Amino acid sequence: MASTSPALAPATSNDPLEPALLIEGAQTDASLNDSLFGHVWALPGKGWWGLFGIALMGLTLLLVGLTYTLYKGIGAWGNNIPVGWAFGIINFVWWIGIGHAGTLISAILLLLQQKWRTSINRFAEAMTLFAVICALIFPLIHTGRPWFAAYWLLPYPSVNGIWPQFKSPLVWDVFAVSTYFTISLLFWFLGLIPDLASLRDSSKSPTKRMIYGIFAMGWRGSGRHWAEYKWSYLLLAGLSTPLVLSVHTIVSFYFAVSVLPGWHTTVFPPYFVAGAVFSGFAMVLTWMVPARHFLGLKHVVTMKHLENMNKVILATGLMVTYGYVMEHFIAWYSGNPYEFAMFFKVRQRGPFAPVYWLMIFCNVVVPQIFWSKKARTSLPIMWIAAILVNVGMWCERFNIIVTALHRDFLPSKWEIYAPTWVDWSIYLGTIGLFSTLFLLFLKFVPAVAATEVKELRHEIAHHAEGGEAHG
Amino acid sequence: MSQGQPGQAPGHGHGPGSGFRPRRFVLGQFTDSDALLVATRKMRELGHKQLDTHTPYPVHGIEAALGLGRAKIPTIVLMGAIAGACIAYSMIYYMNVFDFPINVANRPQHSPPSMLPITFELAILLGGSSAFFGLFMLLKLPEPYHPVFEARSFARASIDGFFLSVEVPAGTDPADVAVDMRGFGSTEVQVIEESER
Repeated sequence: MASTSPALAPATSNDPLEPALLIEGAQTDASLNDSLFGHVWALPGKGWWGLFGIALMGLTLLLVGLTYTLYKGIGAWGNNIPVGWAFGIINFVWWIGIGHAGTLISAILLLLQQKWRTSINRFAEAMTLFAVICALIFPLIHTGRPWFAAYWLLPYPSVNGIWPQFKSPLVWDVFAVSTYFTISLLFWFLGLIPDLASLRDSSKSPTKRMIYGIFAMGWRGSGRHWAEYKWSYLLLAGLSTPLVLSVHTIVSFYFAVSVLPGWHTTVFPPYFVAGAVFSGFAMVLTWMVPARHFLGLKHVVTMKHLENMNKVILATGLMVTYGYVMEHFIAWYSGNPYEFAMFFKVRQRGPFAPVYWLMIFCNVVVPQIFWSKKARTSLPIMWIAAILVNVGMWCERFNIIVTALHRDFLPSKWEIYAPTWVDWSIYLGTIGLFSTLFLLFLKFVPAVAATEVKELRHEIAHHAEGGEAHG
Repeated sequence: MSQGQPGQAPGHGHGPGSGFRPRRFVLGQFTDSDALLVATRKMRELGHKQLDTHTPYPVHGIEAALGLGRAKIPTIVLMGAIAGACIAYSMIYYMNVFDFPINVANRPQHSPPSMLPITFELAILLGGSSAFFGLFMLLKLPEPYHPVFEARSFARASIDGFFLSVEVPAGTDPADVAVDMRGFGSTEVQVIEESER
C-alpha cells in the first residue's frame, strides 16, 4: 500500500514492550476508503479465478451428490441401522460450529468493546452466513423427502391437522437455526449499509453506482439516522450474543437428551459452544491469512489481530480439552459399564480409533503450540494449525455421532459404518459451495468494515491528540 | 445544483401550476468532526430548526449537538421481543396442549421447560427483526432521492466529508442561513434545491 509509511509507524516492531498496532501506517479516511475498497473495484486476478474454478468444481460435486440422493433416496448414503445419523448430522454440526466465530467476533467482542474486532468482523460475519447455508442443506436433505420437511418441522396448518411435537430438540433446532440465520443476515446487512453508501459514492461507473445505490437504500450518513442506527446495531449484537450460545446448546441437546452412552452428558452444551468457537476461529484464520495478503489488507488486519485470534484458539482449545477430560472422568466416576466401555474401549481401541486419536492430536495437542509467541505470529504455523483444528473438529463430531451409534447396549445391534461416494461428494461439495459464496463476497463486498475502521482511526487519533494536549 | 442563486423561484422548467414547491437546503462542509460539532451546536442555539449532519461514521456527541431526544429503537425492540415470546409460548400451548395433545409416557402436556427454547428463539427473532425493520421505518429508508444528493461534493459525506444541512423554511432567505453557517467555520457553503422528478 502506497499510503503505508514505515517511517511513521513501523509495520513490525521487534520490541516486545511496544504495543502492536491495530491500524498500520499514517492513514486518513480517504486513504482507508481507497485501500479497503481497492479489491472491490479491481478486476479479479488469476489467483481468484483459479480458486473460483476449484470452488465451482466443488459446487458441481454438491449438485451431483444432491441430485443422486434425491433420485435414489437416502439409501445412497452409508447410513444404516444403528448408525442412522452419520455424515448428514456430522457436517451439519461442523458447519454450524464454524459459523459461530462470526457472531462471536461481531457481537460478543462488540459488547466487550474489543477494538481489534473491527477489521475482521465483516469477514467473519459473512463466513457465518455461508456456513449456516451449508449447514442447512444437511438437515433438509437428510429427511429424505425435503418437500415434506415443511410440515414435519414447521407449525404449518396442514389438512392433516397434525402439529410438530414441541418437546423434541429436533424441532427446537429448526427454530434456533432459522432464527440464527435470519438474525445473522440482518446484522450483517445493517453493518454493511454505510459501506454500501461509500461504495455508491466512490464508484466510477453509473451502473455500479446504481447497483450499490440500490443496496445502500439512500443512506446519507445523517446524524439523526446514526443516533438510532447505533442503538439498532448494538441491540442486534446484544440479541445475537445469547442467540449464538443457545444455538449450539440446542444442537448439543440432540445428543445430550438421549440415553445413548457417549451422548448422555451434561457437559455437552458448554463444550459444544467452546468447540464451535474453536473451529470457527480456525476457519476465519484459514481464510484470513491468504485473503489479507491478496486483497492488500495487511495494514488493517495486522499481526495483532492474527495473534489475538490464535489466543482465542488456544483458550477455546483448552475448554474443549476440559470437555474431553470431564467426559472421560464422568464415564469412569459414574460406574456405568456402558459409559466406561464407550469412552475407554470403543473410542480408544475400536474400529474408529484412528479418528479418535486424530481428534486428540488436532484439538488437544496442536493448539498448545500457541503458548509460544513465535508460533502465534508465524503465518505458516498458524495457517497449518488452523487447518488441523478444522480437521480435528470434524473428527470430534464423527467420533461423537458414529462411534456412539455403532456400538450401543446390545452387541446384536452392532454394525460398522462406511460413508459412500455420495456422502463424500455432498460433504466436499458444501466446502465448494462455501468457497464459491466466499469468493463472490470478496469480489463484490468490502471484506473489511471500512466505516468502522475509519471510526476506530478517528478514535485512536483523538486519544493520541488528547494525550499530547492534556498529558 | 445551484450555487449562489438563493431564493429564486423554481427554475427547472415546470410551470407555476404544477404545485411542486421544492425544498431548499443550505449545505456546509467542515474540515473535521470537531468543527462540525461546534457549528451544529451554535447553529441550533441560533434558532435554526431542521438541522442534520452527514458524516461517514457516527460522531461522538452529535446527538447532543443536534438536540435529539432518547433513541426510540430500544423500546421497539423490547416490544418485539415480548411479542415474540408471547406468540411462541401461546402457539406451543395451543398446538401441543389444546389442539393436538399427544401422551408421551404420561409426561405433562403443559411442560414449561420444553417450551422455553422456542420461546427464547422467537423472542430473539422478533426482537432482532424489529431492531432492523423498525429502524428503517423510523428513518423512512429506503429513500433513494434526497435533496442533499444534489450537491456534487456530497459524495464525500460517506467517504471523508463532514456536512451540516439546514432545511430552509418557506419565507426565509437561504442566503441568511448560509451567512450564519459560513460564520461558524464552514469551508464551503452551498444552497441546494430539490429537483422535480
